[in-house]
Amino acid sequence: MSDAPLSPAAFEARLRAVGTERYHDKHPFNLRMHEGELSRAELQTWVRNRYYYQTRIPVKDSAILTKSGDPAFRREWVQRLHDHDGRAPGEGGLELWLRLAETVGLARDDVASLAGVLPGVRRACDAYVELVEGADLLVAVAASLTELFAGDIMKTRLAAFEKHYPWVDAEGLAYFRSRTTQAPRDARFGLAFVVENAKTRADQERCVAAVEKKCEILWSLLDAVEAAHRRPRLSPHVVLRDDDERPGGKVAVLSERAVRVNEAGCEILAACDGARTAEEIASLLRARHPDTPHVADDVHDFLGEMERLGVLVAA
Amino acid sequence: MSAAGAPRLWNLVAELTYRCPLRCPYCSNPTQWSAIRDALDADAWGRVFREAAALGAVHVGLTGGEPSVRGDLAEIVRAAADAQLYPHLVTAGLPLTESGLAALRDAGLRSVQLSIQDADAEASDAIAGTPSFERKLAIARAARALGLALTLNFVLHRRNLGRVGEMVALARTLDADRVELANAQYDGWALRNRDALLPSREQLEAASAVVAAERAKASRPELVWVLPDYFSGRPKPCMGGWGARLAVVAPDGLVLPCHAARDLPGLAFWNVRERSLRECWHEAPGMNAYRGESWMREPCRSCERRAQDFGGCRCQAFRLTGDAANTDPACALAPRRDAIAAARQRPASDALRYRDARSS
Repeated sequence: MSDAPLSPAAFEARLRAVGTERYHDKHPFNLRMHEGELSRAELQTWVRNRYYYQTRIPVKDSAILTKSGDPAFRREWVQRLHDHDGRAPGEGGLELWLRLAETVGLARDDVASLAGVLPGVRRACDAYVELVEGADLLVAVAASLTELFAGDIMKTRLAAFEKHYPWVDAEGLAYFRSRTTQAPRDARFGLAFVVENAKTRADQERCVAAVEKKCEILWSLLDAVEAAHRRPRLSPHVVLRDDDERPGGKVAVLSERAVRVNEAGCEILAACDGARTAEEIASLLRARHPDTPHVADDVHDFLGEMERLGVLVAA
Repeated sequence: MSAAGAPRLWNLVAELTYRCPLRCPYCSNPTQWSAIRDALDADAWGRVFREAAALGAVHVGLTGGEPSVRGDLAEIVRAAADAQLYPHLVTAGLPLTESGLAALRDAGLRSVQLSIQDADAEASDAIAGTPSFERKLAIARAARALGLALTLNFVLHRRNLGRVGEMVALARTLDADRVELANAQYDGWALRNRDALLPSREQLEAASAVVAAERAKASRPELVWVLPDYFSGRPKPCMGGWGARLAVVAPDGLVLPCHAARDLPGLAFWNVRERSLRECWHEAPGMNAYRGESWMREPCRSCERRAQDFGGCRCQAFRLTGDAANTDPACALAPRRDAIAAARQRPASDALRYRDARSS
């Protein structure tokens, strides 16, 4: 690989290629959303969880502001805070998202409280803020360049909602409408900044890597939302046997590994009947153990781990 | 701990025979395999399985050689299932037949690991040294139809690393649950053929990228891929530690910590024909030689990774440095890491020596 910097056009093409390959418009959950295949419950889970992402955006934009010594940059970038937070109560992107939440049948205060945000979603969004906080200004701005691809997805989404989800009130779609113009405007500024300031090949590569990382984060957010509606059951290849060293525990034996499951895990496994969704299993366990903290989070993380290990399969 | 001193045995590897219709030049059996007889009948294996279960084992891998050359394989599977072990068959796919596999399933078999040597018939048969590819596909389909868990195992080397994508595609066609993309381990036959098999770093990086892309496409099948120790600078956590959780019982009844330890000098292993498996596991001097950490030298002894990689592979340390107690030379911290560097710098060869019975 040559160390000479790419031309501005070639650099921009590299950045755009990341989106072509990895932007979450290709995630199965988004494909299903846009094809009209999501259930009401799935849509609600997405809206509730994506709100956590929305709340992180002004936090990370505030962090970016602190990294710049240039008044002109800050004047431009602060616009993003106004877009999301509004200039007065009842305005801005976060408010519009809460209205969307109401139109899909969720209680506004409940969504705003961030209760029920899935642990995988929380990790993904927090990883974005950490990425920005730990980066220099160039990379922090580069990470926002997924906005290059956001204008199109918002248009697709608007059309899909109008066509496939008529029960979602048109007024609730105002957020998407606002982003069809804001995202391209923001992306133009961000792109110009990154192209101008990534002066070496190494800087350019760091910017490409930041966009890749951001795509990964958006993708894993949807992975977590999608997993919440899968219906796990014990793999037909598993043999469950008592753990003779841990009372109440079991050992799940598979062709390639044995997994020890403690008593609490066994209670979760027992609820995995292939009919209940992960969300329903979490609710069930939360109801059974009202005084134990983080039950739902623990259930989701446990189910994900057991699926990864092949103990559970989920349809 | 199942008893004072030795850890619990979790997993038994039953090498039922070293006979095999294939002649792969990286076979992991001892190079002297033809001198080692099949000394345990189905009853004797049944006794070993019950003793293993009593020591805590939950799983048995029935392997070889090729286990299906034994006429009493169904009986052996049934003995494993009766002992409450999870019977897992490791096979090359022949002389096994579809009806034979059905009989094994009925005897209690739960899962199959099928080796395939490459993504197409010509290349696969060339490495196997015998026409076998089509039989393998038939066995894979039969395993699926019988409801058995199916893992495909592809041993990788310089001649087939460029076709990892095609191997995964084949696995998707066969609806495998799991695919082991297993870089050859350079011991035994593979060590003899190392100049013809060892890949370049560029090949490995390209294959690594293919695996990452395939993993992103779908969560199934599970793709097992690890950068090989010759290139990673990290020794492999061989067997999860010497005598730590797994025992191999060889066709002659010898109880070993891994499939290759028989040849290490000065180690006395014991035989289930003469003693109980419990004695062979807990007390054999060879089994205790490298258990735990007290045998370690520097840099392993004070290394923070010693509980993760156990100082690497004792057999590789012996084969490449002459002393099994040395740090595995695959480790970037090993005093004798030059042994790996030298191997990587040797010119590639086209000469493959296939496994045969006249070895010296």
